[in-house]
Amino acid sequence: MTYKVQIDDLVRDATADEIAKIESQRSEAQAEAKAKADKASAREALLDKLGITADEAQLLLGGM
Amino acid sequence: MTISATTQGLRMGVATSTSRPTVPFDGQVISETDTDSLVVYKGSAWAPVSALTLITAQTIGTAVSSVTVSSAFSATYDNYQITIAGGVASTAVNLGLQLGSTTTGYYAGYPRVTYSSGASNNSADNNAALWSRAGVGSSNSLAANFYLLSPNLAKNTVFQTWYNDLDTTSVGGTGSGFANNTTQFTAFTIIPNTGTLTGGTIRVYGYSNS
Repeated sequence: MTYKVQIDDLVRDATADEIAKIESQRSEAQAEAKAKADKASAREALLDKLGITADEAQLLLGGM
Repeated sequence: MTISATTQGLRMGVATSTSRPTVPFDGQVISETDTDSLVVYKGSAWAPVSALTLITAQTIGTAVSSVTVSSAFSATYDNYQITIAGGVASTAVNLGLQLGSTTTGYYAGYPRVTYSSGASNNSADNNAALWSRAGVGSSNSLAANFYLLSPNLAKNTVFQTWYNDLDTTSVGGTGSGFANNTTQFTAFTIIPNTGTLTGGTIRVYGYSNS
């Protein structure tokens, strides 16, 4: 994968170090997004198992 | 005293920041060509007439994965506002923010609400490699408006932002935190968490210290 980086008005191909840094940051962001999606799926599965809606779950927990 | 004209303007003294009047008087105003600002002499020092001064406007290139603004912060201002507008992202992105070359010690909380349900959707940066949500981008536009306090002082830099996803199923909110680092930064980098950025403008404003 190639990346372009911009420093002020100069746009150039990323160096090997810069590519490693970009990909590391992106993998962290993707892991975070996946964890969030997994949590949402688990929540949905639990609601299905209990046979209640998200609003009903909020009521049970004392929320508005 | 009244000075009036309908087709002409009042011309201030014109100088640069290094060729200011050597014997100024209190209240004297000059137009500085190198800083593109009006400055007024306040008894012992020159200060910008406006509380907020545009320091630099950086146009974003084509299909870039990061944009560094290298001379954003200096001893002239303690606090800054940075906006990003126009342009597009290749896909829906979060715009990350990094100071100088520091890749650790970023902390922030992002209290957010889902547009469709009003439900909370919070997130955080905990000793992260960057502030992950300084702004957003979509195939429609880029959008950011954040504040940095003390980036060029030998203090922790404080970060505050508005965060508003640009699709109807997502979230809006804010963010605030700090960099656990006392480096005196001069530069920052905008880094999308995926895809690329094309076009648009990053504008850096400094808040007058006096």
